[in-house]
Amino acid sequence: MPVVKVAPPLDQDVDLSRTYDAVVVGSGAAGGMAAHVLTSQGMQVLMLEAGKKLPIEQELRSMEWPYDHPRRGGHAPGAHALSFNEYTIRQPPYAKAAAFRHVYSYVGGWSGGDYVKNILVDERDHPYTGTRYAWVRARALGGKTNIWGRLALRLSDYDFKAKSHDGYGDDWPISYADLAPFYDKVDLYLGISGVKENLPHLPDSLFQRPTKLNVAEVKLRRSLATMGRVLTPYRAGVTTDGVKHNKYRSKCFGRGACGRRPGGCDIHAAFDSPTGLIYPAMDTGKLTLRTNSIAYEVLVDPNTGRARGVAFVDSQNRRSYEAKAKVVVLAASTLESARLLLLSKSRQYPNGIGNSSGHVGHNFCEHVMGPGATGLVKELVGQPHTLDDGRPGGFYIPRFRNLQARQQEGGFIRGYGFEGGSGHSIFPAGVDAPGFGAGFKKTVRDHAGAFISMGGFGEVLPRYENAVDLDPEVKDRWGIPVLRFHYQFGDNERKMCEDMAATAREMFESAGIEVVGVDSTILTEGWSIHELGTARMGSDRRTSVLNQFQQSHDVRNLFVVDGSSHVSASCQNPTWTIMALAWRSCEYLADEFRKGAL
Amino acid sequence: MISRREMIAATAAALAVPWQRVGSARFLTPAEYALLDELTELIIPADAQSPGARAAAVAGYIDARLTESLEPDWQGRWRAGLQGVDALSQELTGTPFLGATPDQRRAVLTRMAAGESDPKTPLEHFFKELKWWTVFGYYTSKIGIHDDQQYKGNVYQTGEFAGFDAQ
Repeated sequence: MPVVKVAPPLDQDVDLSRTYDAVVVGSGAAGGMAAHVLTSQGMQVLMLEAGKKLPIEQELRSMEWPYDHPRRGGHAPGAHALSFNEYTIRQPPYAKAAAFRHVYSYVGGWSGGDYVKNILVDERDHPYTGTRYAWVRARALGGKTNIWGRLALRLSDYDFKAKSHDGYGDDWPISYADLAPFYDKVDLYLGISGVKENLPHLPDSLFQRPTKLNVAEVKLRRSLATMGRVLTPYRAGVTTDGVKHNKYRSKCFGRGACGRRPGGCDIHAAFDSPTGLIYPAMDTGKLTLRTNSIAYEVLVDPNTGRARGVAFVDSQNRRSYEAKAKVVVLAASTLESARLLLLSKSRQYPNGIGNSSGHVGHNFCEHVMGPGATGLVKELVGQPHTLDDGRPGGFYIPRFRNLQARQQEGGFIRGYGFEGGSGHSIFPAGVDAPGFGAGFKKTVRDHAGAFISMGGFGEVLPRYENAVDLDPEVKDRWGIPVLRFHYQFGDNERKMCEDMAATAREMFESAGIEVVGVDSTILTEGWSIHELGTARMGSDRRTSVLNQFQQSHDVRNLFVVDGSSHVSASCQNPTWTIMALAWRSCEYLADEFRKGAL
Repeated sequence: MISRREMIAATAAALAVPWQRVGSARFLTPAEYALLDELTELIIPADAQSPGARAAAVAGYIDARLTESLEPDWQGRWRAGLQGVDALSQELTGTPFLGATPDQRRAVLTRMAAGESDPKTPLEHFFKELKWWTVFGYYTSKIGIHDDQQYKGNVYQTGEFAGFDAQ
């Protein structure tokens, strides 16, 4: 098979006596993009990653059959993944009451949790407190991009100008026209697959060849078209035609491994930050990487008030170090970057660096999920089994609610989209059929490919009172104060979720698909792994943390380029927007750096 | 790719060899193991399409998980559940499960399965656990994936992707 297998570049020696042009904290989508853009602009960059550099192909083993794994992909004894029930009946820290040596977030409980045990954090070492929240964290080079869900969507002015549209919250300090050129750059540099639909509220990308639909999905697409709604093949952050400029990545061969596991792609057709961004940046000779480096403070020059570097602890030898840099770029994730800002207290910045507004940690938002439906396509029952799951994802139904200004269909504002899929998979759907014996076995076989299901992802409104702060007592394994959550869904989210369940049913019924299950349970806060908004951008420094270039209003050589900068969550998955914003901001950063303005 | 005919032939050959117990330190006793093996085959039997749970060594898979488990409560529930099956069989047929006729065995299992949608008794709960592990063990086995499900995926698609264009 023409699969790319190029070894990662050799690490450069880290020289902590030197002052780098920029230090980037975090190596996920945002940190990787910062490293790519800043090095291509000629800057010398030091990247700090809290986790390990893993032999990721050996971890993921994408093509391994279940029966070739001793526990069919499951965890070894003593390891445990948290269940929905545990998130519901307990309070954080969730590992406290669990009688297991290793405790992982719920993602480790998906089929094949053993493949991600070294990517996810052990909840025992990384507690948090406060209200219930399913916080999924990856500490490894590349962060959550090693296992992300791959749905790569653009935002539009329905999102950037949401306040102008419905009166709630705040507009972003940018419009779609500002970001569109950078979405284009991300598309071309990393590769994205999809179908053009010409929707104003879900702009098209510069797509490579799309993945396909199966029979049930085509049926639903045709029916939805008569309702003025759209079902489009999964817009996947996956290169289906290949990216010629990147020797570390193969094109997609439709192996479907990404759907069988918690994610990950051992030929890197699905975007991940190490092969997509970091290794090529290392090849410029301008990026130095230091893993196992847990940042705990942005250091401040007491004379100028400017950031002078980052203090970190080495997770292996537990010693503290300082990394010196002319510019500090935080990309540690929405919640970890907020934590780092709050931890960085000094005489100049008693509430944490960059926090003169008092908004760091606040306006925390994300996507609410859970409600959806499962249907049975009767004409597929008993049909020969076909190859349906050789693709990075199934389908996406873009938002259709409240697209008119001031509209409140369903008694709520904003909207939601659906992710779904149908067809045969390695483990048959419908094994919850009742009974046993020959009849049960035949039922499973005959129905395996005939189900279609989808679930909603809805916009959670940003609210000042939804926040994180530092717990005054609890510390993590390295003695660093942990986050305390003050975060709950509100009425708008609950009404939206009721509508999701109802519209899922309605769409299946309209298509002549028998509804066999409607789920109206709202999953625990955090479940979507789309946390956003704890250091939002804005043009008013009294109510926002960053300007439109993700630059601190207070400290001009401090940037926060991850999801914490988002003003609202929209209902589209955030990764592509995180990268487009980081690209735009880092070009600005490099310009300002050259001008000596930082 | 192995053909279906070859697969069935290979499975038949495997059936001729008794299940090889690896080492002696297994959790289940030989009697418990034989009972579990029969229960799994009753839940997913061989049929014209494919061999069943016995050929797929589902009991061996479950026993291996029980053996290495660090959860005595969970191990205990399996032991108690298997004892409960014999007790119910004794009550309904006057003989332990493996001494009963095939029809009687199915009747015992049918009684256990009666509360499947809303289990109340320990034995009804045990049925759910037994069935889930049998289903998981079977449909993640070679026989379950290739022979029964005729699974077509986990392959390199070098040309067009399978499926239909969005039109």
